[in-house]
Amino acid sequence: MTTNLSEELKSALRERILVLDGAMGTTIRSYELCESDARGKRFQDNNEDLLNNGDILSITQPSVIGDIHKRFYEAGSDICETNTFSGTVLAQSEFFVQDPRKSGGIKDPEFFDKKVINNSKLQDIVHEINVKSVQLAKEQADRVSQNDGRKRYVAGAIGPLTVSLTNVVDPNDTSFRPVTFDQVKQTYRHQIDALLEEDCDILMVETIFDSLNAKAALVAIKESKTEAPVIISAAVGRGGETMISAQKVEALWNTFAHIDPLAVGLNCSLGPDLMEPFLRDLGKAATTHISCYPNAGLPNPLAPTGFDLEPKDMHDYIAAFADAGLLNLAGGCCGNTPEHIAAIAKSVQGKAPRPVPSLVTA
Amino acid sequence: MFQLPRFLRLSGTEAYNHTPDKNFLMIGERTNVAGSPRFRKLIKEDKLEEALEVARQQVENGANVIDICFDDGLIDGKFMMAKFLDLIQAEPDIQAVPIMVDSSKWEIIKEGLKHLQGKGIVNSISLKEGEEAFRTNARHILNYGAAVVVMAFDEQGQAATYEDKCRICKRAYDILVDEVGFPPQDIIFDPNILTVATGIEEHNNYALDFFNATRWIKDNLPFAKVSGGVSNISFSFRGNNAVREAMHSAFLYHATQAGMDMGIVNAGMLEVYDNIPKHLLTAVEDVLLNKDDGATERLLDLAEEFKGQGAKKLVEDLSWREQPVEKRLEHSLLRGIDKFIDDDTEEALAKYKKPLSVIEGPLMDGMGIVGDLFGAGKMFLPQVVKSARVMKKSVAWLEPLMEEEREEKIITQTSFLRSENSALSESEARAIATKSFSNGKVIMATVKGDVHDIGKNIVGVVLICNGFDVVDMGVMVSCDKILDAVEEHNADIIGLSGLITPSLDEMITVAKEAEKRGFGKRNIPILIGGATTSAAHTAIKIAGHYTGPLVHVLDASRSVPVTTALLSEDRQKFIDTNEENHHRAREKFNGSKKKVALSNEQARANKVTIDWEHYNPPIPEFTGTRTIKSQSLRELANYIDWTPFFHTWELRGVWNPETETLKTRNKEGGKVAKELYSEAKELLERIITEKRFTASGIYGFFPAKADGDDIYLPDQKVTLHTLRQQNKKSGKPNYALSDYVSPECDHLGGFVVGIHGADEWAAELREQNDIDEALMVQALADRFAEAFAELLHHRARIAWGIERPGQFSQSELIHEKYQGIRPAPGYPSQPDHTEKRILFNLLQAKEKTAVELTESCAMHPGSAVCGLYFSHPESHYFMIDNLQKDQIKDYSVRKELSIEEVEKWLGPWLGY
Repeated sequence: MTTNLSEELKSALRERILVLDGAMGTTIRSYELCESDARGKRFQDNNEDLLNNGDILSITQPSVIGDIHKRFYEAGSDICETNTFSGTVLAQSEFFVQDPRKSGGIKDPEFFDKKVINNSKLQDIVHEINVKSVQLAKEQADRVSQNDGRKRYVAGAIGPLTVSLTNVVDPNDTSFRPVTFDQVKQTYRHQIDALLEEDCDILMVETIFDSLNAKAALVAIKESKTEAPVIISAAVGRGGETMISAQKVEALWNTFAHIDPLAVGLNCSLGPDLMEPFLRDLGKAATTHISCYPNAGLPNPLAPTGFDLEPKDMHDYIAAFADAGLLNLAGGCCGNTPEHIAAIAKSVQGKAPRPVPSLVTA
Repeated sequence: MFQLPRFLRLSGTEAYNHTPDKNFLMIGERTNVAGSPRFRKLIKEDKLEEALEVARQQVENGANVIDICFDDGLIDGKFMMAKFLDLIQAEPDIQAVPIMVDSSKWEIIKEGLKHLQGKGIVNSISLKEGEEAFRTNARHILNYGAAVVVMAFDEQGQAATYEDKCRICKRAYDILVDEVGFPPQDIIFDPNILTVATGIEEHNNYALDFFNATRWIKDNLPFAKVSGGVSNISFSFRGNNAVREAMHSAFLYHATQAGMDMGIVNAGMLEVYDNIPKHLLTAVEDVLLNKDDGATERLLDLAEEFKGQGAKKLVEDLSWREQPVEKRLEHSLLRGIDKFIDDDTEEALAKYKKPLSVIEGPLMDGMGIVGDLFGAGKMFLPQVVKSARVMKKSVAWLEPLMEEEREEKIITQTSFLRSENSALSESEARAIATKSFSNGKVIMATVKGDVHDIGKNIVGVVLICNGFDVVDMGVMVSCDKILDAVEEHNADIIGLSGLITPSLDEMITVAKEAEKRGFGKRNIPILIGGATTSAAHTAIKIAGHYTGPLVHVLDASRSVPVTTALLSEDRQKFIDTNEENHHRAREKFNGSKKKVALSNEQARANKVTIDWEHYNPPIPEFTGTRTIKSQSLRELANYIDWTPFFHTWELRGVWNPETETLKTRNKEGGKVAKELYSEAKELLERIITEKRFTASGIYGFFPAKADGDDIYLPDQKVTLHTLRQQNKKSGKPNYALSDYVSPECDHLGGFVVGIHGADEWAAELREQNDIDEALMVQALADRFAEAFAELLHHRARIAWGIERPGQFSQSELIHEKYQGIRPAPGYPSQPDHTEKRILFNLLQAKEKTAVELTESCAMHPGSAVCGLYFSHPESHYFMIDNLQKDQIKDYSVRKELSIEEVEKWLGPWLGY
């Protein structure tokens, strides 16, 4: 069944450039929810604020999340990502477990073991976030597909976490890390199992700013033995390096080529203009499809959407990328509204996808 | 469909692709405790920094991959593998290359894989434990995405002969490729390089067997690679480096010919093949190729000749050490080299005398460059952190000296405090003094609602490296908690971080609350940072809520220069620049909202409409000029507006002449103002009684009529020129000064006043080093000049019949309640300074008042004022800007100046 799905997607990708969705976080904000909306009845007594916990809205405001999926699918997305960017116990712990530093403590593997990883209440919430989120996206995918007869897919979003396995946090002991690889792997595995429980079509390890974090997620995927297609997408800085761990895009491809992902690409952090050279670098090396979903320009807190580029701008950039034969999947990250996605969908319509190189066989 | 070659592709932070042009992949072996006694010693003694240095040197010497091995009975290999690889993650130049995780213990290999962000190589697995374990381990490695070295071992042991090597490698290859699905290009065989010339006959063919097996593997196992530990070959000649080096080179020469792709080598122990002495080479090759039974004997004999030679040292490129100390410090910071930092810091201290001058000078300059490079995408975060750590070493070297200085200051301050206030106990006084000289303390937090931690942590690390005490409150920290912590810790700086848009509003909240708690008045700086923050947003939306310094910090690399500047002795300069930048950002923002320009024609069509037909312009009681050679200073003193006087001393506020107090937010400021005022009054009295200043001035009236945007004086045949606002405006006219003069018949006034004697006096005082007094003299002269302009304007309005004597009180006059204006050329209503030349000629000001114009249209003496008088009741001051080319063209024709000349004078007001 899943193998078929992989083939099905590959064959679609041979024919056209598939369209991803836009920003979940910044689009949620346009609904102007308030703290009590985010908490709902269920979490009304939660100690920490939940308004900026986008993932919890799959439980407390499912209609908003469903509506966002619906709008993106209707705007032309073939694939929407689930609202699970922070759907791990590690990321969710920030909203449910008090930061030990507030009372003079530290975040270290012991803290995470005691308060987070084995916290069954937290595990349950996270499990529910992932399950509900897939359901919400699937429901809209099916509905929109039925309306126009074109199949829509759901990709389980697996985000980068708020801790890093490579970054130095203590200048007096540069080998200290707040979490261990196994802890990170375990929490990703927990998320992946929940996403797969609802037959999520694709697993999407995205906004990778630390390649070792991503490696933990991808090892977890491998160990789960799922055959669901995987998309890998990195967030790189102005020099084309993963923002925190500073791995260049070609090095990143070398690191993850063994996954044989459905696609590898770049998202977030930069607008399309600054992303282009690194997209080209990646395209030269990768023997799989290339995906690209940049921010709507750089963050600009003074712009109405918080980002500089309008739908028309995104249209023009993505159209140029497609013309240059750089793309197999295109969408938008932060600042991209359904209007942006409609423009992006239009920009790739009828354009030939990038031919995917293969490795010589003999 | 195009195809890419099946290269072995590895990575650290950089990609390493084993393309055909790289004929040999060098694996550095010095970080292997089994191969390097020095490295083993460093690890055992826990000298990890030096151990890292060994790794770095290998990369510098050209190793493509570094082999790391802790297989030693006295080392906890699993623990050390994890720790060492994590340490490497903090070393940008080492982690650039792929890493070979080397151990005979599977547990250690597994641990190593968890600490590689790139694609490394596992060294090694084999069939020694049977196929099942082999498959399991290979699958595990494939899950983690590493290449693998397979030793030519099986259940029976090590393959020594050609046949065994080929058989075992083939068996392993088939399992890996067919059963496990391992990419064949990622399989590296090590068919065992075994020691030759041991004197045992069976060993004589070992090298040849290796060459032949290599050739067979390359021919029969597609894409597989061959590697080996090269130094094994020459173990018999331990201690004789010249021979060993020759053997390594010759071995590699033949092995690469056979197809060997890579090897574990000591790059420092390789002779260039062509440089090997001919007779030595022959002897070595005879051994390696097992030419005859006497080969070993011959090489042993020859070896005597080369004893004690060889072991050439690789020379580091140290040319950068020739540069001046500032450049060397910069180099060390940029490249993350801490090897020379102590020496260089010492040298810098000798040059700069004070530790703080070293930090605020060359070190901060270096960090500034780091910031620039990071901003340009030419340095990455781990490198920034590494630079900060080099900085840390330098600061640590200076620390004891700073501690001494601090102690001295504390002692002096303590006794001073006690002499000021005898109620203070020694320990109380010392506590206060200690606080004022302690390291800067920074409270940092990601604001409420935001969970993003990593960027803030990096800022924290960088600040700690620079000697700051950092209290990291973590994420999702409420406003109250942050501000409570500031009070609790008596913090010097507040750092607010946030990555998502809603955090921007929370930062505004924190700024407002901090202001309420009086932190602004106490001048506690707030730093704003995080992905969605911006300098413009900080200036426009946040800074206005806080009276203390509030600074946007672009990224971690900028945090040190900013915090250092904020806590330095001349912090005011930095704060002023910051304020200025904020001001400019706000202006730009406000301007940009309505920065649509009209054409000159459209702007003129939107001029002020005055019904001149039903207006009777007032007629002055005289025309021509009146000169005041020496105006009574006593009378002028009544016209002084004191508020601007305090600005000279950075005291913002409004002066109340009735109560003689400065209304300011800063209580201290009020006190200081009072003292300044009494000093000024004293000096003022002296100036008046001793007649230190001479105030001379001239004013006059002339028949005038507007002629388009010019004002024509028919009697004098003089034209004055005005400029017109060109912004598109909603509902309001596009003003020009000429709009307020009737096109039929009207009058225009003009004046020049100057205070003589002040410049010379101030210069004298300065020469006597009495800077404060000099400043005071000039500030008072400025006040007198302004007062004189006010007084003359007052007289002029009365002469013009638009005001009765005594109609307005002194304070009403200061608040300009009267009719008419006195705009000065070079100021916002007419920014063109060159109009002064026309005015001065018209009034003959130089001859009558001795006030002169310099080439650049500045007035001399410095305390002087000039301007035009307009009488129309609607006339008011306004701001010209966004001038467009069409108006400038027209204006230059009217003024008979070239366009370039006009553009030069009006640069800042041009909107193109």
